[in-house]
Amino acid sequence: MAGTSLAAMGFGEAEAAVAAHVRPMKLANTTETRNTCPYCSVACGVIIYAKGDVRKGERADIVHIEGDADHPTNLGTLCPKGAALKDFVHAPTRLQYPMVRRPGSDKFERVSWDAALDRIARLMKDDRDANFLASNQEGTAVNRWTTTGMLAASATTNETAWCTFKVAKALGIVGFDNQARV
Amino acid sequence: MSAFQGPQPDPAAIGRLAKAPFALLPDPAALFRRRAERFEVLAAGSDLAPYLRFLAGLCARQHAIAAALPPAPPLPEARLERARAAAMPLLDRQAMADAPGLPALVAQVLEAMGDLAMPPPAAEALAALRLAEPAERAAMCRNVLADSIPTDALPEHLFLSAALQIEAARQAAALDPARLVPVGTGLCPVCGGPPLASCVTGRPGAEGARYAACGFCGTDWNEVRIKCLACGSTKGIGYRAPEDEAATIKAETCDACRSWVKILYQDRNPALDPLADDVGSLGLDLLMQGTEYRRAGFDPFLIGY
Repeated sequence: MAGTSLAAMGFGEAEAAVAAHVRPMKLANTTETRNTCPYCSVACGVIIYAKGDVRKGERADIVHIEGDADHPTNLGTLCPKGAALKDFVHAPTRLQYPMVRRPGSDKFERVSWDAALDRIARLMKDDRDANFLASNQEGTAVNRWTTTGMLAASATTNETAWCTFKVAKALGIVGFDNQARV
Repeated sequence: MSAFQGPQPDPAAIGRLAKAPFALLPDPAALFRRRAERFEVLAAGSDLAPYLRFLAGLCARQHAIAAALPPAPPLPEARLERARAAAMPLLDRQAMADAPGLPALVAQVLEAMGDLAMPPPAAEALAALRLAEPAERAAMCRNVLADSIPTDALPEHLFLSAALQIEAARQAAALDPARLVPVGTGLCPVCGGPPLASCVTGRPGAEGARYAACGFCGTDWNEVRIKCLACGSTKGIGYRAPEDEAATIKAETCDACRSWVKILYQDRNPALDPLADDVGSLGLDLLMQGTEYRRAGFDPFLIGY
């Protein structure tokens, strides 16, 4: 007995023609992935379309980014910056690793993560040692470091935002925005 | 001070942002006419033209009958409320099988198909159906209503599906969309049926939202994107389409339950019709047969893939 609607109805030839037509074709994997726009604290939902599936051991190339219609914050809409996210991802000027422009130099050079983090820690420590306030005008003990600020990213989870806050406030940083406002 | 009173600001309703409606109920006459027209368009230059032309004719006849039918009477309030409270589909398919007007509608549809050109196996099935005892036809209608089509009688059930689609769309059209509630992942909130495919819509106010399409009653209902319509998993979802093509029809695959359902990007091609283009993209089904995934979309005109 014929097992398909087409064969049973007597359209077997048409079915065979389609089969012959698609035989040389290959299927390509594409993916759609939810993410959060990295620009501001509104944290709009986006869907990232990629050609190739990394879960199947392939190289994935982002081909399109659009607003996520299911996301309660933006219901599929994006601002002009968010709408241009694909070019942000593929920008040749995008920062992909730590770089430093040394005093007196006119160009950036690549450094290792260890070197970058050591240098950041050194500069933070020096600045905090020089400017830290341990007490206010009334002599009450405070934990106040007003000469360094911190801006964190929008696309973080509550847990990441919590950790970020703890790190900044333990050091006494006053000028701080972890973009968990909205 | 001015006594001018402007509209009160509502910070929750800024710009044109509107939540996509949960369900879009069918207009039976328009539904079948659109399908018939789309089948005609797809038939031009397709390897599948004979079948697509046949279905175009079938849908045109469905359209003629649906357009002449009076609107369905409203369902009893108590039944609607009970279904809604229990998050059950509003239409009772069992009750549809026992509806007094159904045998006459089925007879009318079988009569109307008489002048439709079709290959001998289909014509023989149609002739047999017209001669069949009422009890025999009723038993086959129950198979259609249960979405369980025996593979040894596909043509007979295809014709009966066509008849029941008219009645289901008519009853769905009489419902109040505001009363519909989600009844479960991948289940039609009107008749409880599985989706035949889903569409990413370009409808103004709902751009980019995904609607699953019911092949039985013609209702479209909103489902979150990047989610398996067979098992509800949001992990391991991928999309497959033939290489080197700007595909607007893809297979949405799920690694959790190993099934796939077609997804049509109407935002890129507004002409796509879930049922007509499901049949029209048979090539994708044939390609997907070579993968580890099995088809979960249910289309009464495309069984066996």
